[in-house]
Amino acid sequence: MKRTLLALGLAVVASAARADYPETVRDHILPGYAAFAETTASLAAKATETCDSALLEPFFQHAFDAWMGVQHLNFGPVEEDGHRLAIHYWPDPKASGAKAQMALLKGDPAKLAPGAFAQQSVAARGLMALERLLFPAEPLPADPCPLIRATATDLAATAAAVNEGWKAGYGDTMLTAGEPGNTTFLTSPEVRQVLFTQLASGLEFLSDNRIARPLGTFDAPHPERAEARASGRSLRNILLALQAMRRMVATLTPDAPLTIAAFDKAIALAAAMNDPTLAGVATPEGHLKFEILGQSVDNIRAVILSELAPEMDVGIGFNAADGD
Amino acid sequence: MTSRRGFLAGLAALSLPLPSWADAGSPDLLAAAKVGEGYHLFGLGAAGQTIFSLPLPARGHAAAAHPSRPLAVAFARRPGTFAAVIDCASGAETHRITPPDGRQFNGHGAFSAGGETLFTSEVVAATSQGLIGIWRSADFTRMGEFASGGIGPHDLKRLADGSLIVANGGIQTDPTDRTKLNLPDMRPNLSHLSADGTLLAQTELPEALWQNSIRHLALSPDGSVAFAMQWEGDPAMIVPLLGRWSPGQDAILATTPEAELARMKGYAGSIAMTVDGTTAITSPKGGVVLLHAADGTHLASHARADICGVSAHASGFIATDGGGALWACDRAGLTLLATGGPAWDNHLVPAGV
Repeated sequence: MKRTLLALGLAVVASAARADYPETVRDHILPGYAAFAETTASLAAKATETCDSALLEPFFQHAFDAWMGVQHLNFGPVEEDGHRLAIHYWPDPKASGAKAQMALLKGDPAKLAPGAFAQQSVAARGLMALERLLFPAEPLPADPCPLIRATATDLAATAAAVNEGWKAGYGDTMLTAGEPGNTTFLTSPEVRQVLFTQLASGLEFLSDNRIARPLGTFDAPHPERAEARASGRSLRNILLALQAMRRMVATLTPDAPLTIAAFDKAIALAAAMNDPTLAGVATPEGHLKFEILGQSVDNIRAVILSELAPEMDVGIGFNAADGD
Repeated sequence: MTSRRGFLAGLAALSLPLPSWADAGSPDLLAAAKVGEGYHLFGLGAAGQTIFSLPLPARGHAAAAHPSRPLAVAFARRPGTFAAVIDCASGAETHRITPPDGRQFNGHGAFSAGGETLFTSEVVAATSQGLIGIWRSADFTRMGEFASGGIGPHDLKRLADGSLIVANGGIQTDPTDRTKLNLPDMRPNLSHLSADGTLLAQTELPEALWQNSIRHLALSPDGSVAFAMQWEGDPAMIVPLLGRWSPGQDAILATTPEAELARMKGYAGSIAMTVDGTTAITSPKGGVVLLHAADGTHLASHARADICGVSAHASGFIATDGGGALWACDRAGLTLLATGGPAWDNHLVPAGV
């Protein structure tokens, strides 16, 4: 495949078939973080008006939807200053988030001021923290309103910082790969390598954490380990993660039909499931269906290695693939 | 009867100084790398420049450098069926050492302070029970072996007093394909052994961390050791990957903030320590290097894809990545030293140590 590096700001006059990492930055990453910043800002604004969870829920759901559009991207500004975990602290097998949050709920209100709140444990911040306040499993021991406001405000600030990091620098850093002075990306292939790695690790996270952990075994399923059960998002997050990564592939290359087909198969399986919180993994039929979905995700991982990697002329890193 | 030729050669050997690392161009560091479809051992200078590049028979893991002679022992990757002894001055492979029947090398080795003896980390292939092999470096004949103090030893380091610290990683592997056989029952340890194999001290991690394989070591001049781990347990857990041990005391784990630790993806590939006790641990899986102070507090994190090899150098570190770049690394960041190199492999080791 012939590649053309588009200089930043140059008008795109190419055929519709052109796709490479500049398209990924422009059409996938930047709009994704912008949407996350906008939806979290709306959520924070609404939380200053009301703490009624019924009124806040649609704003929360929109913000989480937007996060699912970029959550597979584990590099750049979101990795700075602990932002990624401060947005999405999950999985949390030791329930660290709930414990830290309970201390804040009953503790010194001064810790809820924006500067102080940003210093709190990442486990007590972000989308999962808000979910616990908006959809509590048991009645909360104190008025959650100040903590809801603090958490929503902090989330919006974190999202804005990440978005600003991309807009103000990191996007250009990717687009100027290989130019003198750019020591983050020494060559264009390095950019493709990093983006491919995001797909590989994003699919691994989806398979390991969102699917394999709640699936457990036939004799010992763990539906309670499903992500965001309280807000009814467990299956939706799987679907949105698949759709986001499929969109990313389409921006990287027009020539990965098997990869797209593998995504479409998994997306169709997820879309056909009628089990928002994955409760069905505890039933024989539901367990089997979910296991098949997991296999379809693992199949995507195999196909991106066999088709997309050679198409992009990349692979898993020499050391990352096979350490010791 | 002594031949004339042999007599003259003997005379020449008497009159010439023994070969030293200067004869190999005085490299500061050794690293294995993939060049095209082949594998080479590189000698590197302080600025990251290549001083020599010598072919290896297969992909290497770590090298052990003789303290004075320009000899490097390049260990094959696990399951290690051989190690190549390379004369870095001539480029010749002078010896090919193989473990005894039923034994396998496990990736690392260390010379005694005077260089007379090479110690190799090994396992009984069938059980992964750990051994330290003893080799006479004059001719690389095997002199014996002793127990490493645990299952699956990986890195080992020789202290100034001649004793050894061994990272018994705790993982039992299939002798043919490295499949891990005992992940639920792992129990790694650090063992301090005298040069004749007496167990002097040992420490274990808390039970909740027994699935954290202790794999790589960096020595401090004070006789303590920093150790790096690889998590084999539930990938949802974020666990410490760096610790410090003074033999005879309990190991102390670093207090890395969770969000920085999460970037390592449960995997520290290499470790190095400066004389002031600052450590660097690398994660090629996470594309990040983390620096910690001697007391285990986190100092900085720097992103770089596939970064792995790291060695202390000057007041900071030199690090390598699989993309062919060499970096100076300190608290402020990564500074590019050289690019366009081969795919640097897991480890970067000081020459002549």
